[in-house]
Amino acid sequence: MNVFEFSTTPIDAARLAAPLASPAAGGFAAFEGRVRDRNEGRAVTSLEYEAFEALAVAEGGRIVADAARRHGATLARCVHRVGRLEVGDVAVWVGVSAPHRAEAFAACLEIIDEVKHRLPIWKKESYADGDSGWVNCEHAAHGTAPRFDYSRQAALPEVGAAGQARLAQAHVIVVGAGGLGCPVLASLAGAGVGLLTIVDPDRVEASNLHRQPLFALADVGQPKAEAAARRLAAYNPGLRYEALVRRFDAGLGAELLAGADAIVDCTDNFAAKFLVNDAAQRAGVPAVIASVYQYEGQLQVVRADRGGSCLRCQWPEATRDGLVGNCAEAGVLGPVPAILGQLQALEVLKLLLDLPGQLQDEVLLVDLLVHGQQRLAAPRDPGCAGRCLRVDGATAPARASEVDLMLPLAAAAAAGYRIVDIREPMECAFEPLPVPGQQALPLGRLLDGALDVEAGRPYLLVCAHGVRSHAAAEYLRARGHANVWSLAGGLAAQAG
Amino acid sequence: MPRLQLRYFALLREQAGRQAETVETAAATPAALYAELAARHGFRLAAAQLRVAVNASFSDWEHPLRDGDEVVFIPPVAGG
Repeated sequence: MNVFEFSTTPIDAARLAAPLASPAAGGFAAFEGRVRDRNEGRAVTSLEYEAFEALAVAEGGRIVADAARRHGATLARCVHRVGRLEVGDVAVWVGVSAPHRAEAFAACLEIIDEVKHRLPIWKKESYADGDSGWVNCEHAAHGTAPRFDYSRQAALPEVGAAGQARLAQAHVIVVGAGGLGCPVLASLAGAGVGLLTIVDPDRVEASNLHRQPLFALADVGQPKAEAAARRLAAYNPGLRYEALVRRFDAGLGAELLAGADAIVDCTDNFAAKFLVNDAAQRAGVPAVIASVYQYEGQLQVVRADRGGSCLRCQWPEATRDGLVGNCAEAGVLGPVPAILGQLQALEVLKLLLDLPGQLQDEVLLVDLLVHGQQRLAAPRDPGCAGRCLRVDGATAPARASEVDLMLPLAAAAAAGYRIVDIREPMECAFEPLPVPGQQALPLGRLLDGALDVEAGRPYLLVCAHGVRSHAAAEYLRARGHANVWSLAGGLAAQAG
Repeated sequence: MPRLQLRYFALLREQAGRQAETVETAAATPAALYAELAARHGFRLAAAQLRVAVNASFSDWEHPLRDGDEVVFIPPVAGG
């Protein structure tokens, strides 16, 4: 049985279906395309099919075999008529047997769609008024419909068909669809990463456009995650895109990272970067983190899956947003985040394809004014908080809402909470807590076990913005101290 | 006196008005060196807010410096 054939005689469906029967197939689906009595408003009396048979048979065989494999069909075949047909005659017949009906229907639909789109088959229609004319069968006149072609990338010996298949199966989360996020998304979609999740709570602003070419002027005011997903779907429709118009937080991280292959941090502030870092640490998923400042950038790959050093190993707990300007304050030249974003995409692909030279336990500094690039060794800091954020396999990480408390500090003190200020001494001196009687214990010491948690007493941990205290509360919860809480938003949220 | 190669990034590059320089100094550690440079260039960030790398490896502030060392001061950046 040839899976694709031409026939000069009328199609006998029962005869064609017989060899498709199989004990393994619980479903059989067939499609018949018949000659219609009208086309584009004109009455049709008969038509004649002509095909470039040698090419059509080879290409048709590929269509049937690909569809059967893709949908898990047991057996499939397609027969197309050539020659003269009358109204009501069967012009094309597709039959598929499969274990279940869903696979049979899906393969059947793909075969008839592809046959109509790709095969060099023409028809000459004869009309009731005596006129006649050649009509393209769909796109046959244009040759095969274009498909996203990864051949240039798959030609690399390290990639190949196996690497391409691995990319098609991969799920990468991109947090932030801005100056870094746009090139990351474009390159990963171009490479054929099967599922891209885009997380960004913001809307496109006109001031974004110069460095964020996924967005058009007409997108201003649209949610960035959705606008980016739309653009990417037009660019490479063969992939899946998930747009989440919301801020990344620990709860979302726990949900998304289960089963993900990598997370890419393209945010523009430390609070968000630490959230991504911590979520990756907890889930044991690699994180590719980058930052830019004017003409420079920093790139770090956190191999949480291999116990590598993390963002907190490099940046002390005192690191706070506002210390150094972001793009809005300091300014940025478009190609700078574009290049750093491409480096992030490159590291993600190296990771997914297991290519050599992957960054781990180092920070890449890039100075694009002088074209300086330097890899700095950045080993794991044994005192790092990051190590403590790893939760034992069996213990589910606490969700944000279950740890954070939003209340005035004075009310917490009055309610009997023991208030622990986990900021660094320098921060405490600069801005003391507005309540008396609190205990000062920097995060590093708390994680070293210096906090004696008194049973039966509620504890409220406080830091500048609620990020460190959240992490510390989760750490203590994971060690059996159920009555430990984090002040939501930290001291910053108390002011005013 | 030992000669050191220095590189500055981000805010420090702006405040120093250069991305690299060579200095002769008696400073024996990155901490002492940074104090000296902060006075000369008017650096506003405290050492505790920075990281320092000596010879392409992140280092602590009390790491002994030797002639010919390359010292890089790295402020935290978060833009994206």
